[in-house]
Amino acid sequence: MRARKFWKTLPMKLYLLLAAAVCLYFFANDFSLVDIQKTAIILAVGIDKAEGGFSVTAQIAAPKGTERTTGGTSSVEVAAEGGTVSDCISAIFAKTGRVPKLVFCNLIVLGEEAAKEDVIAHLNYFLRNDYMPDSCFLAVCEGSAGELISSQSAIDDASSLAIEKLFSDAAVKAGNVVSNTLKDFAIGYYGVSGSSFLPYIRTEEQEGGGNDSEEGAAASGGGEEAQRVYTATQTALFSKGKMVGLLSAEETLAYSLLEGNVFTGTFSSTDGEKPVTLTVMKNEGGVSLDEKKGEVKLELSLTVRLCCRGVTATVEDIASDSVSPEILQNAEKLLKGYTERLWETCKACGCDLFFLKRTLYRSSKKKFEEEGEGLLAALTPKIEADVFSMK
Amino acid sequence: MNKLSARQVYFLLACILPVGKLILLPARLADVSKNDLLLPAALHLLLQAGAVFCALLLAKRNMSLFEMLEGTLGHVAACVLQTVFALFLLFAALLPVLEQKLLVQSVFYDTLPTIASFAPFFLFAAYACSKPLASFGRMWDMLAPFSLAGYFGILLLSVGSADLAALAPTGAAGASGFFGGTMSAFAWFYDAALLLPLLGKIDYTRGMAWKGMLFYLAGGAGVLIFLAVFYGIFQETSVNQLYAFTATSKYFSGIATLGRADYLFIIVLTLVMTFSCILPIQGAIECALQAYGRKRWLAIVLSVGASLVFLILVLVLDYRFGEILAALSGVLFWIFPLFCLALPPLLLLFGRNDRARA
Repeated sequence: MRARKFWKTLPMKLYLLLAAAVCLYFFANDFSLVDIQKTAIILAVGIDKAEGGFSVTAQIAAPKGTERTTGGTSSVEVAAEGGTVSDCISAIFAKTGRVPKLVFCNLIVLGEEAAKEDVIAHLNYFLRNDYMPDSCFLAVCEGSAGELISSQSAIDDASSLAIEKLFSDAAVKAGNVVSNTLKDFAIGYYGVSGSSFLPYIRTEEQEGGGNDSEEGAAASGGGEEAQRVYTATQTALFSKGKMVGLLSAEETLAYSLLEGNVFTGTFSSTDGEKPVTLTVMKNEGGVSLDEKKGEVKLELSLTVRLCCRGVTATVEDIASDSVSPEILQNAEKLLKGYTERLWETCKACGCDLFFLKRTLYRSSKKKFEEEGEGLLAALTPKIEADVFSMK
Repeated sequence: MNKLSARQVYFLLACILPVGKLILLPARLADVSKNDLLLPAALHLLLQAGAVFCALLLAKRNMSLFEMLEGTLGHVAACVLQTVFALFLLFAALLPVLEQKLLVQSVFYDTLPTIASFAPFFLFAAYACSKPLASFGRMWDMLAPFSLAGYFGILLLSVGSADLAALAPTGAAGASGFFGGTMSAFAWFYDAALLLPLLGKIDYTRGMAWKGMLFYLAGGAGVLIFLAVFYGIFQETSVNQLYAFTATSKYFSGIATLGRADYLFIIVLTLVMTFSCILPIQGAIECALQAYGRKRWLAIVLSVGASLVFLILVLVLDYRFGEILAALSGVLFWIFPLFCLALPPLLLLFGRNDRARA
C-alpha cells in the first residue's frame, strides 16, 4: 500500500525537485563568484576628448594592497584612447587583461572639452550596457576628467569615493550642490525639452596635504603627489546634449530652493554692514506654467524659513531664536536676485532647466506645437521669494 | 480523471498569464506607441477578455477541442486543424522561451553566461509537458500567491519613482502609434488560445465564463498599472529597458542601503514565468494527444521532442532575437488573432455542442 502511494506521488516529487533544480541554475548568478584576478572592477570612468576620438580613464578597484592605501579601497587608474568609448573600454581590457566590470561603476565624469560636444555619444555605451547601473552619478569637471579621476583625494582612498560623497543626500539637501544620474540625464536629453544639468566639479590642492605613504612613495622612487579636495557648487547646463552654460554657486542654491528640497542649507546675507549666515530650516519651491487663459505664464516661487547662526547675539536673541525683519528683508532680496540671475542664465543659453517645454507639451500638445520652440525667450517669469523666521 | 477547478482556472487567468507580459512587451510598446503604450495594451486585454469569455463558455459543453472539431468537420479535418493549432501554440511559445532565456542570462548572470545556464529549462519543460493537465492546476494553486507577492512587491518598490504625468498627453503618438503598438503586441496576447486545449478538462461551474473574464481583466489591470509605472520611471528611455520588471524597483531609496533586495520579488516572478512560458508547449502536446490518442509513451515522445526542438532553436537563434521579434510583431502578427481571437467565437457559433451528436 505504502509502495503504491510512493509510486503514485513520485512524479509530483520529481516535478518539484526539477523545479528546484531549475531555480538553482537560473538564480545561482554564477554562485556570486567573481574571479577578481580576471576582472577589472571599475569604480569610476572619466571621459575626455582626444585627437580623433576619446580618452577614457577607468578607476579600477585593486584587490591587493598598494602604496596608495593602508586599508579600505585601493585603486589604480588605467587610460586608453579610441574612436569610441566602447573602443576605449576594449583597449583597457587589452591593456589589463581583465574583463571590465561596470556593475559597480557609480560615477562618470565628463571632461570640459568632451562636454562641449553632444555628450550622449559619449554616454551611449553606458546607457545601453545591461550591466551598467543607470543610477550612477554623472558630472562634468573643469579641465580633464582623466586627471580628476587619477588625482589623489585628501580625504578618501579613491578620488571617485570622495567625489561621490559630494552628491550624498545630505549634501544635496544642503542646497549647495545638485546631483544627476545617467538615467535622468538621458530622460532630459531625449525628452521634448532636450535639456539637463550636471554638477560641475573643481579640484583644489589641499594646503599642507602630504602623501600618507611617503615612505612607500620614496621606496618606490615616486615623487610626492599633491592631495586634492573637490567641490561641485556650480552647475553645468546642457541643451541638446552640449554644455551651454554654467550656474554660479548662488544660482545653484536658487535652483535647489525652487526644487523645494533644501534642509539645513546655509547662505550668507547681511545685517546692515555685518555678514550673517542664515540656515534654511524649511523650504518649499514651485515652478508653475499656466497656459489655460491663452497666454503662457510662468511663476517661480520659493518659500524659506530661516534661523540665524554665526552672529554676535544677546541671550534674549538666542532664547527667542528669531531673525530680525531687516535680515529677512535682505535675505528675500538676495534670494529673489539669485532666482532672477538663474532664470536669465538659463534663458541666455537656451537650457530648459525647469522642463517648461515638457510641462507645456503634457498639458497641451497643440500649444506646445505653436509656442514650444520659442517658449524660453518669450517667457518673463513672475518671481516670488517669501522669507520667514523659523520662530 | 482529475479536472481543473474554477479556482485553478481563475488563478491561471489572473495571476499566471499576465506575468509573461512584463518582460519585453513594455519596452516594445514604448518603442512604437511612446507615452500611449497603455492604449494598445488595453485594447488587446479587452479583445482577449472577450475571447476568454467565449473559451470558457465552450468549457460548459464538457467536450474537448478535438471532439468539437470532429463533431463539426469530421475526423480527418479535425486531425488536420488540431495539428495546425498545436503548431500555432509551438510557434507562440517561441517568444516567451527566448524572452525567458535572455532574461535569465542577462539579469541573473554578471559575466558571460553559456547556454548551459539555461539548459535545465528544457529538462524541466520535457518533464512538465509530459504530465497530465491536472498537475498544472495544482501548480497554479501554489504559484498564484507567489505571483501576487512578486508583482505587488515590485510595484510597491517602483511606484514612488514613477512620474505618471509622463503618460500625458493622451494620443500624442497618433493613429500610427496606436495601430503600430496594437500590431506589434499581438505576439504577447494569445491567452484565450491557451484555454482551448483545456476544454473538456475544466469543471465548469455556474457563471464561470463571466467570472473568468473578470479575473482575466483583473490580471490585465495589473499589467496596465505596471506599464504606467514603467513608463513613468523611464519615460523616453523606456525603449532601452528590455527586462522591464527587473528594472523598475532598483530606484527605491532603500535599495542603495540594502542592496538589490528587490531581487527576491524578481526571482519569485521569474519562477512563475518559467511555468507560464511552458503553457503553450504543454497546450500543443495536449492537442496532439487529443487528436492522435492519449498514450503515455506518445506524451513523453512529444514532450521530449518539443523540448529538443526548442533547445535547438534557442541555440540556432541565439543572436537573432531582434529578427525573430521583428518577424513575430511584424509580418507574422496576423497569425495570433486568427487562432486566439477568431477561433473561440467561431467554435461557439458553429461547433457541435453535444457529445452524442458529435
